[in-house]
Amino acid sequence: MGNSARRPSPVARRPSPVARRPSPIARRPSSIGPPSTIHRMTTLVKRTHWVVRVTHWINVIALPLMVASGLRIFNAYPGFARKGESFCCYPFEGKPIPAALTFGGWLAGARHWHFAMMWVLVVNALVYLVFLYLHGEWRELAPRRGDARRAWQMIEFYLFAIKEHPRQGKHNSLQKTAYFAMPVVAALIVLSGIAIWKPVELHWLTMVFGGYVWARYVHFVAMILLVLLVLGHVFMVFAVDPYSLRSMITGWYDESLSPEARNARPFYHLLPRRESSGDHSRPAVTGD
Amino acid sequence: MSPRFVDEQSLIDRRRFLALTATGAAAALVGCDSFGSRRFEPALAAAQRGNEKVERLLFRHRSEDRIPAGARLSGNAFPQYFVSDTVPIWDEAMRGLWRLEVSGAVRQPLSLSLDDLVRMKRVAQSVDHFCVEGWTARAQWIGVRVSELARAAGVTSDAQYVDFQSFDSDYHESWDMASAMHPQTLVAYAMDGRYLGAGHGAPARVHSPVKLGYKNTKYLTKVVFMPLRNGGYWTDRGYEWYAGT
Repeated sequence: MGNSARRPSPVARRPSPVARRPSPIARRPSSIGPPSTIHRMTTLVKRTHWVVRVTHWINVIALPLMVASGLRIFNAYPGFARKGESFCCYPFEGKPIPAALTFGGWLAGARHWHFAMMWVLVVNALVYLVFLYLHGEWRELAPRRGDARRAWQMIEFYLFAIKEHPRQGKHNSLQKTAYFAMPVVAALIVLSGIAIWKPVELHWLTMVFGGYVWARYVHFVAMILLVLLVLGHVFMVFAVDPYSLRSMITGWYDESLSPEARNARPFYHLLPRRESSGDHSRPAVTGD
Repeated sequence: MSPRFVDEQSLIDRRRFLALTATGAAAALVGCDSFGSRRFEPALAAAQRGNEKVERLLFRHRSEDRIPAGARLSGNAFPQYFVSDTVPIWDEAMRGLWRLEVSGAVRQPLSLSLDDLVRMKRVAQSVDHFCVEGWTARAQWIGVRVSELARAAGVTSDAQYVDFQSFDSDYHESWDMASAMHPQTLVAYAMDGRYLGAGHGAPARVHSPVKLGYKNTKYLTKVVFMPLRNGGYWTDRGYEWYAGT
């Protein structure tokens, strides 16, 4: 869709094409009062398509159920070694996962949940990916040249080595990397999961992972990776951009509250910026 | 690792499996699962039926389990497991000579002694054993294909399912005909070159890599071909019936 997204460098000075459509209530002052009081312009933009929102919240429910039921299944044999052999690469062989992190009650129950939820998640992922493709939003997530440099820029900013929040478009390069990695890791989880579900009927797939034991290991490690990505994502939402929750629920995003506008680092400048404070002269409203 | 240690290990696995299963079954019975599982039971059951359809669709007689030539077998580490309180042993003094009965939807019911079985067309295969718990073990099995027994007994077109029954309390598991007729589904009487030990289902057991371990009835007494499925020991306790690999 948007041509700005197709430019080699998505370091956008302007908001994305979606964001350029102002809402009917855009630029409405959020509070009316004398200039000396907190005075902020809201810039509402439609940011998150309903397909993304719906699939996102289905994930929020289904993923924890999938992970926790998987951990309950894992606890029936909390290790990887084939009987009579040892396994090189798991330091906690034989130690069960704390029951509080598991779901399903018992092995059969957890299996029923796991093998039901897998369809929910796979269909959900397909809907999301097909939407990304048809709607062109994949361009906002696909890796591009310079991403590593821009990601490093973000890290420097978070470490106070850079003063101003880099402007990197709808998602900064750290976000982009995380959001791109999630479906990739998820695909790995699905494939290794099928490999341990059908090690005989789909023997070739199991062999791609190096056999049943390794496929089970890949399934586990990739799950850990996805959980870490999710935890990082949730942490950053609350620590840097809690206002994005609104757009993930209603679709509308107030750009005057964006991390760029607030110059926000984790737990730093969480509150809306006071324009009248004057020490940073850059206007909070980004639509120019 | 000494064999003794390994045996204890597998015993612990089995104990924990049984204990947890019992707890879970109790929880399911009173419907006090942490997430109110009763309400979700219809949806989960529907998913299970759907999964069975997918599994049957994927099933091929040509898909076989292969382990690398010269791969290490599990040997003494192969877990021993039964549902009775003590190792089930066929007591000849009380029950007479052990015989395997092949009956049901067949033209010619069979009653085979171990010698009869050994004289039948023999298959030896080294394959994986996939336990529902997530572990795998490898062994070499010698036995007679269930399809060979079906042929010998003259199975009729009524036979859609097979029930494998045992003398390990009331343990049994019924299979779909296609999986039972798979070339790797055996009534095995030897493991790793020796006749089955008491902990492994002596004198004969079902072994196949195409189903999860619990479908592979040990301490086998009857192979009954039938037009309807007949559940099974773990199936009746909530585990999935098809359980294909």
